[in-house]
Amino acid sequence: MRFNRSIALALALAASSPLAIAAEGHGHAHHGGSTIGQPGTAAEASRTVEVTLNDMYFEPESIAVKAGETVRFVVKNEGALLHEFNIGTAAMHEKHQSRMQLMMDHGMLTPTGINHEMANMDHSSMPGMEGLGHQEPNSVLVAPGETSEMVWTFSGDAQLEFACNVPGHYAAGMAGEIRLD
Amino acid sequence: MLLSCIKKAAPVLASLWSLGALAGTYNLVIDEQPLEIDGKAKNAMTLNGGVPGPTLRFREGEDVTINVTNNLDVDSSIHWHGLLLPYTQDGVPGISFPGIKPGETFTYRFPIVQAGTYWYHSHSGFQEQEGVYGSIVIEPAKREPYRYDREYVVMLSDWSAETGDQIFSNLKGQSDYYNYSQQTLGGFFKDASQDGFAATLRDRLDWGSMRMMPTDIADVSGYSFLVNGKSTDDNWTGLFQPGERVRLRFINASAMTYFDVRIPGLKMTVIQADGNNVQPVGVDEFRIAVAETYDVIVQPKEDRAFSILAESIDRSGFARGTLAPREGMKLALPELRERPLLTMSDMSMASMGGMDHGSMDHSAMNHAAMAPSQSQTVDHAAMGHSQPQPQAMDHAAMGHTQPQPQAMDHAAMGHTQPQPQAMDHAAMGHTQPQPQAMDHAAMGHTQPQPQAMDHAAMGHAPAQPQAMDHAAMGHSSMAAMTDTGGDYAPGSGLTPTAANGGKFLVYGDLKAMTPYADYRAPDREIELRLTGNMERYFWSINGIKFSDAEPVRLTYGERVRIKFVNDTMMMHPMHLHGMWMQLDKGNGRFNPLKHVVNVAPNTTLTVDVPVDAIGEWAFHCHLMYHMASGMFRKIVVEPPAAQAAQM
Repeated sequence: MRFNRSIALALALAASSPLAIAAEGHGHAHHGGSTIGQPGTAAEASRTVEVTLNDMYFEPESIAVKAGETVRFVVKNEGALLHEFNIGTAAMHEKHQSRMQLMMDHGMLTPTGINHEMANMDHSSMPGMEGLGHQEPNSVLVAPGETSEMVWTFSGDAQLEFACNVPGHYAAGMAGEIRLD
Repeated sequence: MLLSCIKKAAPVLASLWSLGALAGTYNLVIDEQPLEIDGKAKNAMTLNGGVPGPTLRFREGEDVTINVTNNLDVDSSIHWHGLLLPYTQDGVPGISFPGIKPGETFTYRFPIVQAGTYWYHSHSGFQEQEGVYGSIVIEPAKREPYRYDREYVVMLSDWSAETGDQIFSNLKGQSDYYNYSQQTLGGFFKDASQDGFAATLRDRLDWGSMRMMPTDIADVSGYSFLVNGKSTDDNWTGLFQPGERVRLRFINASAMTYFDVRIPGLKMTVIQADGNNVQPVGVDEFRIAVAETYDVIVQPKEDRAFSILAESIDRSGFARGTLAPREGMKLALPELRERPLLTMSDMSMASMGGMDHGSMDHSAMNHAAMAPSQSQTVDHAAMGHSQPQPQAMDHAAMGHTQPQPQAMDHAAMGHTQPQPQAMDHAAMGHTQPQPQAMDHAAMGHTQPQPQAMDHAAMGHAPAQPQAMDHAAMGHSSMAAMTDTGGDYAPGSGLTPTAANGGKFLVYGDLKAMTPYADYRAPDREIELRLTGNMERYFWSINGIKFSDAEPVRLTYGERVRIKFVNDTMMMHPMHLHGMWMQLDKGNGRFNPLKHVVNVAPNTTLTVDVPVDAIGEWAFHCHLMYHMASGMFRKIVVEPPAAQAAQM
């Protein structure tokens, strides 16, 4: 089943970098004193939002949420290229982009997908590569044609964007606003 | 905001939109009038009274009607550069149509079947050099895939006080007429005292046999460089609000000038090349060949001015514009960088006219004494050193700081069998993603063993003592980042580097955003050697100039690989009309579609052409005076024989 396979990919990536969240300081998401929220479960979700990833834009382009609300995102990649759906502040996205660039440089990611062999290698002993992987709970990487999902509980504390941090994509405009209703 | 920009930038005349069907009518008038730019006054050729002409804004799916009136006293024409259209509308006198006589109006009619940034220019005489050029922006029928708040056309050009005819006759009479940086007799004795008389004499004789000089970077100097028709003093300005994304549509409308483009303080994300969307790639600087286009997005966040700097590659000047939050802001121009010198690497064996290099005594060459920038440029592979390197050669002193592309085949790397003792990732210093920061010397490549190094066959196969199996590794993206991706001959004096030490765009970075559906092996290959003689100012293809050449015949539906081999010491921006060239830098179905490809000296570049447009098309070097002297072919695309027989 396609859906499960992309989840499995994310987990496989995660296995190589158990320290990612702590090292990065987001995930549980304290950023500048405010929190971006936390992962939720599908059972808690009050609604489902379908998000389409295209080359080089999101549909919809902005999403409205309420403070405390838990939303299930079903994220489908209809493009020809690898894309990400990541919830965070602009500063978090910027930081994540440089990590994604490193992963691309090291062949863990390609423009169209995830290189399992490279991604499963233990890069953690290399300086600057500690915790390199893609396990952040506020993000899913979705290969072309695949669908993945993410459940998120919004705190309402931070100004958030959803973004694709695959190298070049955010700069080309692949980001959208999360509005607090 | 975007709308108001478009309105301001588009003085499109008499746009007539019928209800329902998308159709527009546009009028262009070619005329002559006195114009002074950058203190250089002459009778310029204008379009609707200006240089450049108006930006034509079309929409994909529109049927356009364009009336072009020629008020000159000579024939004229307009060619729609990069547009796919019936060949009779392509605007090349003698191939697509007879041209436009003085006082007459020619009406072009064609459907717009593509989107992106293009341009138009006269294809008659040297009228393009005189001012007959303008930009085309085509809005896509579907959603624009990128998001930006404003956009501007940034049209670069070279402006001379002389007419094109004067320049051409100067070049024909004395090819080094514009080479203000010639090496002098004094320089000869200086080199001779450093390198020894015999070595210097031999070096000068080599250049002489090429009819070239190391300073032959550009044929013509004395230009002023313009941004949208404005000199650096006039400072074309594009406004922004801090934080906005701004799309810049760079078009090189120069007759002869390549530029290295940067905006100090801003990363540029390249999103389109030659009108076709590419996977966005962030760069600090890029080189734009004559007639190419590149679209970039920048996001200036500070409330200050940023200079758009397009530095001519012979470093004779800048085209400069400014991005600013308010009108009237400008920064001081930086110093011009050092003028590059061509090296032996830029000299192909074929072009040396049968020189007996086998008799050259390489062991006498004092590589260590060569300037660092030149010593690392010596391309042993091209020089055909089949013999092991002389022990006396001090490779360490040669300054091999830049890995030779053929030396490190990262593209084939796969990390399947990491060799811990050889591959010291910990020492790779991967903290900075900049490729330039990668210290290969620290990668565990101890010192190369000169006597064991076969430069001619540098594939790092099992013979290498380091035990590092590069052949089995797979850092595909690293290859493009750590070298020029084969865009230039290894060690070429023309190899660009970013002014801030950051990322310089290479052709391998250009990957189509949408994979090509019908990607397959070519049906056949045609080799085209780019040839010429600088001193006689004679440029040709396969040694034959246009006036003496048969057309190249292609069959509709076939897929033809064109292999360009540059036997000259100059770069040639090769332009195919009417059909795309899929630039092959190993990106397969993501090979980008281009209308101009730059072929550097002593390199081979391949493109695949899906032959999908019947008719007669022009195919030429877009350096105006190379085209004029014969580096040009007519391409005839015929229906398949079976089909033709039935007709």
